[in-house]
Amino acid sequence: MTARSGEGTWAAGPDRSWIRSVLSLIGPDFHDNRIQAPSQPVHPGWCATLALIIAAGLLLMAAGQGAGLRSDPSAARLFWSGVVVVVVPMVLRIAWPPIARSERLFLLVLLAVALFFIKISYAPTGFAGHDEFLHWIAADDMLTAGRLFLSNPLLPIGATYQGLEILTTGIVNLTGLSLFAAAMLLLIVLKGTFITSMFLFFEKLLGSARMAAIACLVYMGCTSYVLFDSMFSYESLGIVFCALIFATEAASGNRTDGAGNERLVLIVLLLAGLAVTHHLSAAYAAIYLCAVAILEVGRRDASLRDICSAAALAAVAVALPVLWLEAWGDPLIGYLGPVVQAGFQALLQKFGPHAAVDPRLDSIVPAQALAMRLTTLCGILLLSLGCATGFFRTLATAAPADAPPGWCRIGALLQRRWRDSRLVLVTFLAFGFPLSVIFRLSVGGWEIGNRMGTLAFVGVGPVVSVAVVRFWQGRAPQGWNRLGPALALVVIVLGGVTAATLDPIRGPYRAGGDSESIEPMAIETALWAKEWLGPGNRFVADRVNRLLLGGYGRQDVKVDIAEGVTTGRVYEAETLSQGDLYALIKSDLDFMLVDMRLSTAPPVLGFYFENWEPNLGEPISPVALLKFDKVAGIGRIYDNGAIKIYDVRELHER
Amino acid sequence: MSGDNRDLRSACLWAIALAIAVILFEGTTVRAVLGLPMVLLISGHTLLRAIGIRADSPVEHLIYAIGASLVAGIAGGFVLNAIGLMTPLGWAIWYLLVVTSASALAIRRFGAAASLPWPRLVPIRAPHAIAFALAALLTTAAYALAVHDEAKQQQFKYTEFWMVPSPDNGSLSLGIRSEEEKRLRFDVEVAVDGLPFAVFRSVEITPGQLWTQKIPVPQRSVPQKAEARLYRLDDKRLYRRVSAYLPGS
Repeated sequence: MTARSGEGTWAAGPDRSWIRSVLSLIGPDFHDNRIQAPSQPVHPGWCATLALIIAAGLLLMAAGQGAGLRSDPSAARLFWSGVVVVVVPMVLRIAWPPIARSERLFLLVLLAVALFFIKISYAPTGFAGHDEFLHWIAADDMLTAGRLFLSNPLLPIGATYQGLEILTTGIVNLTGLSLFAAAMLLLIVLKGTFITSMFLFFEKLLGSARMAAIACLVYMGCTSYVLFDSMFSYESLGIVFCALIFATEAASGNRTDGAGNERLVLIVLLLAGLAVTHHLSAAYAAIYLCAVAILEVGRRDASLRDICSAAALAAVAVALPVLWLEAWGDPLIGYLGPVVQAGFQALLQKFGPHAAVDPRLDSIVPAQALAMRLTTLCGILLLSLGCATGFFRTLATAAPADAPPGWCRIGALLQRRWRDSRLVLVTFLAFGFPLSVIFRLSVGGWEIGNRMGTLAFVGVGPVVSVAVVRFWQGRAPQGWNRLGPALALVVIVLGGVTAATLDPIRGPYRAGGDSESIEPMAIETALWAKEWLGPGNRFVADRVNRLLLGGYGRQDVKVDIAEGVTTGRVYEAETLSQGDLYALIKSDLDFMLVDMRLSTAPPVLGFYFENWEPNLGEPISPVALLKFDKVAGIGRIYDNGAIKIYDVRELHER
Repeated sequence: MSGDNRDLRSACLWAIALAIAVILFEGTTVRAVLGLPMVLLISGHTLLRAIGIRADSPVEHLIYAIGASLVAGIAGGFVLNAIGLMTPLGWAIWYLLVVTSASALAIRRFGAAASLPWPRLVPIRAPHAIAFALAALLTTAAYALAVHDEAKQQQFKYTEFWMVPSPDNGSLSLGIRSEEEKRLRFDVEVAVDGLPFAVFRSVEITPGQLWTQKIPVPQRSVPQKAEARLYRLDDKRLYRRVSAYLPGS
């Protein structure tokens, strides 16, 4: 134990004992400064055994998905036992104190790819996520037309950020692989690259392979890690660029051997790639590099060279995305603005003094299995405990080596004396974690909370890692000291899986549930449209069918019927008003797809079209869906019992 | 990697082989074996050599090379788009140019600069190799099982029925496709402007079967509305109903 200078004043009376307990819990003292346990050589036997165990876990997961498709009650048991078989031994081994650095890294990459199998086993032959369809459509258009910047009505901002589509179509062109296969191979490489970059970044900050590995495990507990950032979507490439930039910048910073300058060139190249790939990730990189530059300016011991290189990088990180946006007329505010506004409004409604929560919102909160919710909750509690016990300790780690122990190390930071600005920054980034949890409590703020987590966990990882190694475990932990924190890491990683989605097991069709609504009949209908109507017809449909029509059917899908006339409004009304009929006549639509299954159950996500539709959370009446049969000029050209396609071209002639 | 730039020469040869494969082979295997490493690693490695980055470890070099490759690929998209050559050959030429020019630059700037040594490989014994092979086999089996289960799923039993006017509006394409559990018999009746026009009796459709008919319809000066009804003979009920408009001449 290190000396606890200055604590005597806190222990003046017995009534202060609780303060002393709290301070000793959160305080900056380390249980042991020698964090590097003696490392063993790589143990190929362990690696091989764990690879075999993981493979068995993957088989269980796949069996669980199959059982889910057959509505077999054993689905959850099989799938989750597979997840446990994958996660538990891997996390225990990775977090074990005395193992070789390369073994930890190998196992981390193996675990990252194994967790990616959750996505693959859900939809092994095609895209399933909502956002994946948007990028699939864009990539398919790019392949067909052989050029960039084609408009995408389902994702207008996508035309500005096409890095992922460019790479995927490049692979397709060179290899002849299908777009799906090319996308999956690219994503697997991205997952491995991301976790390796984060490992190197954390290792540079914390000076320990063990702590870096634990920080990576904690990052896997982020809600966006397992699925959201594994989708065929631009953020999956964006965060990899971010991680590479963080790792390269950390490796180039404060070097005296001159090897940092070349790395700066690489960072600029990566920033350029990021600027044209994903807006939010580019913002993350800009925030990070600007904050590092500000901290370098504030750091007392910083050299002019350190400050200049940090400032130059920050300037490039801001300038490149801004210039790229300016070249496109800044479509970002129109895209992100409503999401941010809705998130803050939802938050204010929930916690504001005059809470006026729309009663419909309660009914559309999607349901999740109790066990999954409990696991997520336990993960959040453990992360909170880790952040509470690791925050000051991580800050103290950033203090200069010659600073006195205890709270004096924090005092040194207040005197602008820290050895690494990046470590100070990532420690404060951990504050984003409670904020992201608060945002996730409301339906409207969920999206902000989810995206915030991606950046916040860059801070949560090292902070919890420091808590585990320097407080809960120490150098040579024994018994529960050794097993307890490792099991907590298991729960944190499992919490990342349970918080990633409503249900990772594919089940029977559910209406209005995005990936849960995708099944062969609707896919066949979209393929029929391509075969019998030809590609490129202007279609409207509900949210899920328009994805299928755009992706499988290669149709030109529209979100609205006309400007100011939403598809939801026209579909959900029991009768077609004169105004809506006029809008249909004057529109350029060719076909409308109506799915009668929207009348059978309330939507899983609360809406069938957009989340501002009139009948939020309610099924649509069958009368409303069938009203187009009675309109002269509209013909029902296709019917499979559940899905009907109406031809509205004759309407325009009237 | 070694001091005689073997890595750069190999990268150039790889890029040439890829260009040849793209020209000669239609299949995916050879092109995938040559193309994936080029897009994800090799081009970035040559760029790193050209910039002169000396990583602290092979792992660090690996992720830098992947990152630089990703940037090279994205830049290639913009360049090929500008010259209208986003084709397989265009991509192969792009990577050939990147790799050869980066290699030439690296050699000119740094000569035969010593690169990172290969990482020391961990000795793997036969039982370990067998365990890894088994793991790979099990993983493949897991993926195959997922594909098999997905292909087998059929949540809804249904019959598709459609009637589509031909592009020249001179005929109607009528079609039935069955995804039912068993063979079914149907009657199909077609009427134009309310008058019986065509009838098909006892059409037998087995699961997976497609039945189509092209019906010529004389064009008139005014639009005509055609209606087709599908009757299921098992229970003699109207099963599907579709309609289409034929524009006037």
